[in-house]
Amino acid sequence: MNTSFPIPMLHSTIRIMAPFLLAAIGGLFTELAGMLNIALEGLMLIGAFFSVVLSAATGSLFLGIALGIGASVVAAYVFGFISLNLRANIFITGLATNLFAEGITVVLAFQMFGNKGVIRFENLPRLPVLSIPALQRVPVIGDIFVGHNVLVYVSWLMVVIAAIIIYKTAFGLRVRGTGSNPAAVEAIGLSPRRYRMYAILISGFTCGLAGAILSLQMGAFVPGITSGRGWIALVAIYLGAKTPHGILIACIVFGLAESFSNYAQGAIDIPADFILAFPYIITVIAMIAYSIVRHYRLKGSEG
Amino acid sequence: MARRQLTNLLSSTTGLVLTIGIAFAIVILLILLLSKEPGTAIYYFFVGPFTKAYYFGNMLNQSIGLMFTGLGIAVAFKSSTFNLGGEGQAYSGALVATAICLALPNLPGIVGGAAAILGAILIGAFLAGLSGFFNMRWGTDQLISSFLISAAVILVVNFLVTGPLDDPKNSMLTTASIAEQYRFLKIFLPSKLDVSIFFAVAAAIGTYFFMQRTHWGYEMRMCGINRNFSRYAGINVAKYLVVPMAISGGFHGLAGAVSVMGTHYRCLKGVTTGLGWNGIAVALIAKNNPIAVIPAALFFAYLDAGAKAAMLHADVTFELAKIAQAVIFFLVTAQALYGFFKSRKKVAA
Repeated sequence: MNTSFPIPMLHSTIRIMAPFLLAAIGGLFTELAGMLNIALEGLMLIGAFFSVVLSAATGSLFLGIALGIGASVVAAYVFGFISLNLRANIFITGLATNLFAEGITVVLAFQMFGNKGVIRFENLPRLPVLSIPALQRVPVIGDIFVGHNVLVYVSWLMVVIAAIIIYKTAFGLRVRGTGSNPAAVEAIGLSPRRYRMYAILISGFTCGLAGAILSLQMGAFVPGITSGRGWIALVAIYLGAKTPHGILIACIVFGLAESFSNYAQGAIDIPADFILAFPYIITVIAMIAYSIVRHYRLKGSEG
Repeated sequence: MARRQLTNLLSSTTGLVLTIGIAFAIVILLILLLSKEPGTAIYYFFVGPFTKAYYFGNMLNQSIGLMFTGLGIAVAFKSSTFNLGGEGQAYSGALVATAICLALPNLPGIVGGAAAILGAILIGAFLAGLSGFFNMRWGTDQLISSFLISAAVILVVNFLVTGPLDDPKNSMLTTASIAEQYRFLKIFLPSKLDVSIFFAVAAAIGTYFFMQRTHWGYEMRMCGINRNFSRYAGINVAKYLVVPMAISGGFHGLAGAVSVMGTHYRCLKGVTTGLGWNGIAVALIAKNNPIAVIPAALFFAYLDAGAKAAMLHADVTFELAKIAQAVIFFLVTAQALYGFFKSRKKVAA
């Protein structure tokens, strides 16, 4: 067995899982606030488009990413406003957000670049890579965890921050209360609707960043670049039992699955479409396995 | 009673008018911002489908698939089951219908055609029924599982269309063409409109009677209104997690078969793209009423046809239709727009 094979695979797992992690962490807030957030996919797509286009236009990665996140947050606000203030069904408005994102990114790309396919940005600034020479010399750990772009580390940081907000702050308690017992939140004079909106805006923020990672890593925008990652992130929330550390583990699994399929593509002769289908299949199986376990556990506790 | 119905009708009509008005306003705004010839683009977006018999016929043709998928979603939603896998079910229906036609090149049209349509219905019903089954058995979330299964199926169908079934004689990513006898009769040349529009209208009427006048339809509607109550009333509620899903998937498979046998005569890559998602919007506009699915599907086809005409005659792209459709999606369930008096039950959980 060639020992050099798993290390690059694990290295790319860390890179691949970053967008999943960010989208799922944002989705955790909306989930805890009692909403099924299907819009993760569309919010990521908007973040991906605007951050790469605006990074190229302004020549500044920081500005581009900030504006890309801004666009995603605005979209999240519209999604939240229609769902909460106009009292629309949040599952339908989530679908609407995804369709809208698909439409607007292609329309704008066509109008700006005359092209509905892959748009490459030649003069795009590269994402800075974090290298810690001291750590890099540590075998295995150094090979796997060092040498990624900064946004990958930001995504891990976000998990920690999210965990602190959710479990250690009054705000986090109120968001959780909004989901588990909105009447209690109302009884202490707060508005559950407002906390739902905050949760949606947080998911807009993290999804915007997740999208930025996707397009900036590639240095290009591709229509539908998110290719179902928002949905997989949604499943990661469930599989992670709605906890930040659970989500981290679920995202490692999905990252591994995608990284493995990338390597399998080079090593074994499997058609690309099958490889692309692999994460979905893994996700469905994981979801069914999870519900089977839950089903029998519930049964056990009843009997 | 009559008065309350009138208020309901009025408030839902004003809501719909408002929804569509906002969607149109956004499209106009986008055209004004993006186009160098906004007058032409706006004219063709709104009037284009009526300027030529060809456009008009194609618009009617486009509505056929949407009627079938809209009916599929209406049945599912009316029974409180959620099918988000329409895209994959329609696409696999298109593929299976094509494969059966290609495998039986010499049968009489009616025999082989019936086999192809049946195959398409079965594959759609199976894929959607699977999500219903997992939900019934272990409580797996239908909404997400149907989407994920569909997403995987789309990629597998892509592989088959561009790989083993690809027609080497054709530079497009497509299968070979089906034999003459399997192609539906054109009824409005030179447009693509074919005879299956009558099947779609008949299916809508049939579905209406099925839901309103049959035992199964009644039990499905009861489950849709209140599943717990239905259980106490002795209805087999577990069954009605699977049956409406299977019917819904069957309609989607049928939509795929019709798009191949009526319009394209082969399974192109992505031949049914959009039918699944737009079917959901069509059902919502129709408030899950099978008869109302007909005008709702026509309206969505109109948006597509308008965007296509605008693309041909001006400098805008077809995806403008997607934006209009998304805006309608956003607002169609917004209760604040749809009257305040009514106690509307939720369309979806």
